[in-house]
Amino acid sequence: MTTRLDLTRSPRTLALLRSRWAQFLLRAITLAGFIFTILAGLIGSVVGSHNFAIIFVWIAWWTALKLAFIPFGGRSWCSICPIPMPGEWLQNGGILQPRGRAGIGLGKRWPKSLRGTWMQAGGFLLIGLFGALTLTSAKITAIVLLFILVLALVLSLVFERRSFCNYLCPIGGFTGLYAQAGPVELRVKDADICAAHSEKTCYTACPWGQYPLALKSSANCGLCMECLRVCPSDNIAVNLRPWGSDLGPKTKHRLDEAFLGLVMLASALVDSAVFLGPWGQLKSAAYNIGSPDWFLFAGVFLVIALGVLPGLYTASAWLADHLGSARASLRKSLAYYSQVLVPLGLIAWIAFTISFAIVKFGYVLPVVTDPLGWGWNLIGLSKSAWVGETTSFSLILQVALLMVGLFWSSRVARRISDTIRQAAPLIAFSAFITLAMLWLLVG
Amino acid sequence: MRKEGLARWIVIFLVLAAIVVPLGSWWLSRAQGTQIEMHARMPENGGWSIDTIQAKVGQPIQLRLTSDDVVHGFAIGKSDMESWVSIFPGEYVETTLIFEHPGKYTFYCTRWCGPNHWRMHGDIIVTGEGDPIPSDPLPLFLQYNIDIDAPHYAENIPGSPPSAERGARFSNRLPDYAIDMQTYLLTSPADLWLKLRSEPSLSDLSDMDLWDVVRWIWDRQNSSRTQSLGVKLFMALASAAHGESGRGDGVMVRGLPVMDHSRMGSGLVRPPDFTDPHVLLGASPALLEGKIIRGGMGTGMPSWGSILSRDQIHSIISYLYTIAWESIK
Amino acid sequence: MPMKALPFKTALINWKRWAWAIPFAGLALLILFIPLPLPFHAPQDRLLRIEASTFQFTPGEIQINPGDRVTVELVSTDVVHGFSLDGYDFELKADPGQTATGTFIADQAGVFRFRCSVACGNLHPFMIGKLQVGLNLLFVRGIVLGLLAISAALISLKNVSRGMA
Repeated sequence: MTTRLDLTRSPRTLALLRSRWAQFLLRAITLAGFIFTILAGLIGSVVGSHNFAIIFVWIAWWTALKLAFIPFGGRSWCSICPIPMPGEWLQNGGILQPRGRAGIGLGKRWPKSLRGTWMQAGGFLLIGLFGALTLTSAKITAIVLLFILVLALVLSLVFERRSFCNYLCPIGGFTGLYAQAGPVELRVKDADICAAHSEKTCYTACPWGQYPLALKSSANCGLCMECLRVCPSDNIAVNLRPWGSDLGPKTKHRLDEAFLGLVMLASALVDSAVFLGPWGQLKSAAYNIGSPDWFLFAGVFLVIALGVLPGLYTASAWLADHLGSARASLRKSLAYYSQVLVPLGLIAWIAFTISFAIVKFGYVLPVVTDPLGWGWNLIGLSKSAWVGETTSFSLILQVALLMVGLFWSSRVARRISDTIRQAAPLIAFSAFITLAMLWLLVG
Repeated sequence: MRKEGLARWIVIFLVLAAIVVPLGSWWLSRAQGTQIEMHARMPENGGWSIDTIQAKVGQPIQLRLTSDDVVHGFAIGKSDMESWVSIFPGEYVETTLIFEHPGKYTFYCTRWCGPNHWRMHGDIIVTGEGDPIPSDPLPLFLQYNIDIDAPHYAENIPGSPPSAERGARFSNRLPDYAIDMQTYLLTSPADLWLKLRSEPSLSDLSDMDLWDVVRWIWDRQNSSRTQSLGVKLFMALASAAHGESGRGDGVMVRGLPVMDHSRMGSGLVRPPDFTDPHVLLGASPALLEGKIIRGGMGTGMPSWGSILSRDQIHSIISYLYTIAWESIK
Repeated sequence: MPMKALPFKTALINWKRWAWAIPFAGLALLILFIPLPLPFHAPQDRLLRIEASTFQFTPGEIQINPGDRVTVELVSTDVVHGFSLDGYDFELKADPGQTATGTFIADQAGVFRFRCSVACGNLHPFMIGKLQVGLNLLFVRGIVLGLLAISAALISLKNVSRGMA
């Protein structure tokens, strides 16, 4: 018996989920906000702390994503994300139109060789390599956002559905990965009803190319509710569920999930060192893109992300496999054990975000009252931003969170292994990562 | 469908608002034109965003100042320190300037913003009716043909700290020239001591007595007010290079070789060590005034002629001598 | 097979499955918060001369003892910088050429970050240093807590074999 709370059982919630208007208004607002952010970055103050683009993208929205959307809603941001919307509206031939009727676009299938989360992991590596400059330059942030918006639009006109979101968006990559641990899922209620329904309207409607009946993992479902809206039998459930439900001995995982999970962990460690550490030379090296120091930094970062961490993980997976009774190929083991990286990475990023963003929260209101940094006072606030500090509370919170992450990943490791011995290498790996994060954040 | 149409209008409206509000306000603020928006940046990043401001006599210039990188300051050359304005990154500060006399004024950065801080100047050209700015007198070194690049190492210095109080005892015995303003300006303390030493009427005074006299002469030219102004100006403008103690070891000159007169003109060197009494006691106020006004000819010492008024320069000079006197052990 | 969602009430009644968590939670709180006697060092007067450049404090990592009376000299070497110490009400601001000095008593033990408090360029929000007062007890607690977390994870699954959890 699985523990699930079906939100569609409540008539008011069901009506809300079905409503295209509620979702549309949220999306229209995020789209306008996105465009405003791009403009603010391009023409507003070059001083990052006084520009809406920097503060809202890298502090406000990033914190909301890591501390609210993902841990409490899985891939929920994707349902209101503005980036694919222009393209999707064109594909559907309208804003409130369901998919599949009129529309613009070539609708090509995404090439098989480019599927998976490989490119999303690569995109996140790029964010890490160029992050010190991007996060502190309003213009560059704006250019990156504009580029993503245009890219998503172009891809929507060439390829079917949300190809950008599925295969390219770096945010989508890890949001999907961690959504497996999230407390929300969309599943069918009664499979027999689906068996009797030949038309599969849900699949036609789904912008993510998912088939709800076959949906076993929340990684690729963007919670857009289209299937819910078109199902003639009201057979789609939106369940609240315990954390970590897509992780377990019987769940399927792929090699690219392992790669993405490792890239995310490496990025958490390196970003903690660069942004939160006391090493000014490291920060300057990460910032001065193109300088010899930067090449050294990039080299070390890539060695950690593509060599050290994958090497340690592979050794752990290989050892775990050899400590068990059955034998699987290395590739299968790497894919299978990648689930351990999910709670580990999710918690590591939450802990990082607490240090990174909480200290700068004082900038959020001033930048709402003066988004372009031109001396406006829209909501009548005093303009001085208070600079936060890490308090003993936030430090203890981070320690507690990291321990929850270690507990959780150890549990996953144990659940998917035959014996404690077999789980030990991956538990050791998790402990190593946790220790490293602990030292970087609190040491 | 009507709803579809409504949805489209909502999107168009919101997106247009997102575009029009920032672009519109940007356009409007440029069209207004009564205020001049000036961005301060480190010289490496472009310096002042406006090099030259044109203005008319009596017309108020409304400046809206902001910094794009680090803390800067703004002041008009030769103005009082009270009028200096600090500019913080991302923050705006407004100031209004009015010039009563036509001429060329200099504005400059008053808070150290990197090794090229002293290059951060701009001009304000004021045209119109009226008497031109009363100009400063010709610098003393030009009036009296003093070679301010010549070495000024004092051979004789006091063996212990001279006291102006003790020197005052002999004030009524001094020849007229000794207490003349002209003498003070054109003679170094060491040279004045030599002159007094060769006076027959003062032959009964000890060497130390005469140093006390010289100290007394120097101190009476400088009130405590000019002293404190001198300290403030030195700390704000000079200590980053000259060192807080005047030793020539300021943070901005690390990595530069120590000054050596034989190497003059062959590259940037450290400022001299003012805590070595031989250095300043051999320099006359006119020489120091010349160095400050003109700058160092390749040594990195900026030209302060358009930045500091004569009074400000002499208050700094009085502080420099204090450093010299107080470094005698 | 249809997946029926359990009513929430039934889910809550299964709390007995989670009873093992209670002693662990208690132990965790103990490890995290129990006051521990620290080795005693006689408090001394210290002079910390800290140079600030973009974007680095030198020294960037400092170790002192609890109770020390600390005088900080902040020397800015290129632009105006500040020094603000987390957890202490202590701040200095210094222009190049004008060393700023201040004194505080390090009465709280732990690791405290200090930050630049005057905007000094793009990476200003990340200009950080570390002051360690005494032992970094929180780090040690974290390590012990980590071992507890692993044990808790294993014990919570003690009676479950693969495929049934």
